[in-house]
Amino acid sequence: MLGTMTSRAPDPTDLLQEALDAAPGGFVELRWHKKQTRGISVEKGRVDNATASEHSGVGVRVLEQGTFGFASTDRLEKGSIVRAIGEARAAARASSRARRERVPDFPSVTLARGKFDAPGVDATLARPIESALEMLLEVERGARAGSSRVTSASTAYAEIYEEKGIVTSDGAKVWTRTVRPEFRVIAIAAKGGEMQRGAESVGVTGGWECLFESKSPAQLAEKAAKQAVDLLDAGYPEGGRTKVLLSPALVGLLTHEAVGHTVEADFVASGSCAAGRLGTRVASDLVTLCDSGASEYRDGAGGTLAVDDEGVATQRTTVIEKGFLRSYLHDRESAARMGVAPTGNARAWEYDDEPLIRMRNTYIAPGTSQLDEMIAGVDDGYLLDGASNGQADANGEFMFGTREAYRIVRGKKGPLLRGVNISGSAFDVLQTVDAVGADFRWDLGSGHCGKGQPAKVDAGGPWLRCEVLLGGRKA
Amino acid sequence: MSTTTERSRATETLSQRERELELLARCEALVSEALRAGADEAEAFASYAQKAAATFEKGDLKLAHVDEGTTIGLRVFRHQRLGFAATNQVDAASLASAARNAVALATASPADPANRLPDARPIVELPTLVHPGLARLGIEEAVDYGHALVTRAQQFDARLSVDGANASVSRVAQAIHTSRGVRAAESDAMISLSISGMALEGADVGGFHYASDAIRDPARAESALKSLVDDFARTSVGNLAAQRAPTSYQGLVLFSPDAFLDLFVAPVLAASSAIAVQRGRSALGQRLGERIGAAGFSIHDTPGDRDLAGAASFDREGQPARTFALVEDGWLRGWMYNAYAAAVENRASTGHARGGARGVPGLGAHAIAVASGTGGSREDLLGALGRGLLVQRFSGSVDPASGDFSGVAKSSRWVEGGRVSGPLRETLISGNAYQLLARIVALGSESERVDGSARAPWALVDGLTVTAG
Repeated sequence: MLGTMTSRAPDPTDLLQEALDAAPGGFVELRWHKKQTRGISVEKGRVDNATASEHSGVGVRVLEQGTFGFASTDRLEKGSIVRAIGEARAAARASSRARRERVPDFPSVTLARGKFDAPGVDATLARPIESALEMLLEVERGARAGSSRVTSASTAYAEIYEEKGIVTSDGAKVWTRTVRPEFRVIAIAAKGGEMQRGAESVGVTGGWECLFESKSPAQLAEKAAKQAVDLLDAGYPEGGRTKVLLSPALVGLLTHEAVGHTVEADFVASGSCAAGRLGTRVASDLVTLCDSGASEYRDGAGGTLAVDDEGVATQRTTVIEKGFLRSYLHDRESAARMGVAPTGNARAWEYDDEPLIRMRNTYIAPGTSQLDEMIAGVDDGYLLDGASNGQADANGEFMFGTREAYRIVRGKKGPLLRGVNISGSAFDVLQTVDAVGADFRWDLGSGHCGKGQPAKVDAGGPWLRCEVLLGGRKA
Repeated sequence: MSTTTERSRATETLSQRERELELLARCEALVSEALRAGADEAEAFASYAQKAAATFEKGDLKLAHVDEGTTIGLRVFRHQRLGFAATNQVDAASLASAARNAVALATASPADPANRLPDARPIVELPTLVHPGLARLGIEEAVDYGHALVTRAQQFDARLSVDGANASVSRVAQAIHTSRGVRAAESDAMISLSISGMALEGADVGGFHYASDAIRDPARAESALKSLVDDFARTSVGNLAAQRAPTSYQGLVLFSPDAFLDLFVAPVLAASSAIAVQRGRSALGQRLGERIGAAGFSIHDTPGDRDLAGAASFDREGQPARTFALVEDGWLRGWMYNAYAAAVENRASTGHARGGARGVPGLGAHAIAVASGTGGSREDLLGALGRGLLVQRFSGSVDPASGDFSGVAKSSRWVEGGRVSGPLRETLISGNAYQLLARIVALGSESERVDGSARAPWALVDGLTVTAG
C-alpha cells in the first residue's frame, strides 16, 4: 500500500547477544534503535513537508576501567557491532585518567526480558500517509474559513515509530516497539496591523483513534482559530504575585519543569534544590506527584514506555507523597550510588545517543475539588490555560508560558486576556496549593523535552489552585 | 556493498576532499535512482559527521563518546508535487527504498507551481573551514578540553557546582547534487565547548548559568576556554544571594548581547522569512523599506565570517551564501528567500535555505551580526541606565506573530547609580519586541561573539515592563 510503513526488522536481540558473546569482558550494553518518522505539514493549502525518514543503528555503552565509553554503528551486523564495542572500550580507556570517582560495577537488579509492544503500533504503521495528508489539507482550509480575520493557518502531522532491542552483559534481553503520533494546528489572525496566534496540539503513545479521542482535528482547528481571533481584542493581565487556577496542561508544565527536572538524580547530585530533602515537606499535603512509564488514569500518555534504555522495566515512581519528597528519578548508575533501585528513567533519543535520566509521564494525582468550586473560591486572581514553552533552573525557579488568561474577581470568571509567562520557585509554589481538581488529563504529549537530547514525554494532572508570579504588561 | 572492515579502513584513510567526492558520488547515484523511480526533479544532500566528545557531570568525567555516520536526504518533485526521504542506511537497497518513498510521497501530495529546484549559480568558495591542526585531534584531546573546563571552574571558586561540561571535536562534510546541475561540497571542523551549573553556598542555590563557544582554530582553544569558564564562573557566583527587585517599573532595561539576540533579533529574523511574508504571518510583512528600529540598529547575515559557526559557501540548496542586509540603520531592507519562496515571486534565492540532510530545506540565516553602536562600554551603558534592571539571559517566549514576550530575567542584576548593586531573583520582563525596536536607546561600541554563532552588542532599551517577584 502506498505511503505505509512496515516493520521489516526481525527480533534483533539474538544477533545482539551473538555480538556481545563474541566480545566478552566487563559491562556491555547494546541497543539496536530503529527510528522511522513520517511527517507532513501544510500551510495555506501548500504542502511544505512530506517526509519519510529512517535513522537506525546500534549504540554501544561499556564500563571499562571505572568509566563509560560509548560508540555506535549504523549497521545491524555482528562484525560492525563487535568493532563498535572495541571502539567504546578504547574511548573509555583513553579517558579513564580523567575519571576521579570510578564507577563501581552495577549491582545486580532484575532486568527486563521479552517483547513489549505499545498500543497502536500495527494499526498506525498500516495507515496510509495519504489519509493524514487529506485530513491536514481539509482541517487547514477549515481553520482559515472560520473567520475573515484568520490570515494564515497551518497543520502538521508526524509519527515516530521506534523499535529497540536491548541486550546487556548482565541479563537484559528485550525488544520493544512504540509509535507516537502527534498533530498540531496554528492559526494567525490579524486586525489593524496586529497579529495574534492560536495553537492547539496533541500527541500520544498509541494509534490514530487515541490521538483524536478527546477532540477531532476539526475541533482542534476551530479552537485554535477562535483563540487567535479572540486574542486580537483581549487585554493584558496585570503583573504580580497572585492566586491562579492552572489547567491540566499547565499543571503538566509545573510538574515537569518545576519539579521533575530538579528530582532527576543527575541534577540532584549537582546540587539542585531537591538535594538532601528526601523525607521533608516540599508541598501542601494535597499534592502527590508521580512519574510513570505507564499511562496512568487516562490512555495515551506521550511518554509511555515499558522498558527503559538500560533494560530496566519502568514503574510508577512516587516523587512527592501528600507533600513529602519520597524519591528521585534514577538510572542504574545514580541508583547504585544512592543505594536504591533504578526507577527506569534512562532514555536515549537515538541509537547514537547515550542514555540520560529523563522523565516519562509526570503528573499530580487528582484530588476531589470541582472546577466551579475552585473558581468560586478565588477572590482576586486568574484562570490560566494553554501551555506554551517552559524552563526551570536547578534552584527550582521555573518559567512557563500560557496562551490564555481570565481574570477572576470575587469568584466570577471574566473575559479572555492575553497569555502571560508565570514564574515561581517549585517547592514554594507547591506549598501554596489549596485545591486539587478531580478531573485528570494528559496534555503535554506533543513536542519534546530538551536536555542535551530531545525526549518524548508527557505530563498532566487535574486543575490546581496555587500562587505564582505573573509577568503582566502593567507593572 | 563493502564489508565492515573495509568501511573502517576507508574511514580512516579518506582525506577531506576524498570524503567530499564520496558524498557527491552517493548523491549523484541517489538522484539517478530517484529519476528512475519517476521523479521529474531530484536533489540529494549528504552529510557526514565524525565526533569525539567528552561529557562531564558534577565535576567528573561521565562518558567518552566516539561516533561517525552519514545521512542522505532526497527531495523530489513529480508533476510539481513534493516528496522527501532521508536515511542513514547508505547501502544500495536502502537508498533505492528512500527514492521510492520520496516519489510515493510526491505522488500523494497536491501540486504547487513553486515546487521546482533552483538552477546552478556560481559559488565563491570560502577558504577552507578545516584547520589542519584539527585533523589530529580525537577523544583524548576532547577529554583534555573537558577536564580543563571543569578544573578551571573549580579553581575559580570552590562554591561553583559544575552540573555539566562538554567538549567535542567534530569534523563534518556536506555535499549536494541535483538534477538541475547544482553540485557542491564543503567540509568543516569545530571544537565545541560548553559548561553549565550554579554556585552553592549553604542553603543558597544560585541561579543556573550556561556558556558555550565553538571555534575552528585549535590554537585559540586555550584562550577561548579560559574566557568561557571565567564568564560562566563570574556570573554563577554573582547569582548567589539573589534578592527580589526593589520595585516593579516600566522603563529602561540593559540587555546582554545574548538576551538582546533572543528577545529582539530572533523575532525580526522570523518575520523576515519571505515565506512568512507570503503566507501572511509576518508582523513586518507590510513594512519593507520602512524604519522599524532606532537609528544605528543594523542586522546582517554574514556567512563569510569564519569566526562564526554558520560560516558557509553555499546554502542547503547549493545556492551561493552571501552577506545580506536585513536591517540597516533601523530600516527594513530585505526578506530572506530560499528557492521555494523565490519561485513564488519568480526571483532568485538569496541563499537562505537552511537545514540538514534529515529534512526538507527550511529558511533562515547563517551567521547573524548585529552592528555595534556608539553607546560605549558596558560600564557606559550601566551609567546611562542609572537605576533599573540588567538582563544577562532571557528565559521565556516571544510570539513571532504579535511580538509579545514575557519571561524571566535570568542572571539578572539590579543597577543603582550606574553600578551593579546585586543579583535578582524571580524578576519578569514583558513587552512587544517589534514595538520596542524603535525604543533602542543605545547599542554598545563592541559587537561580541555569542556562543560562537552570532555577534551582537549590549543594548539599552526603553519601554519594558519589569515585575519584581
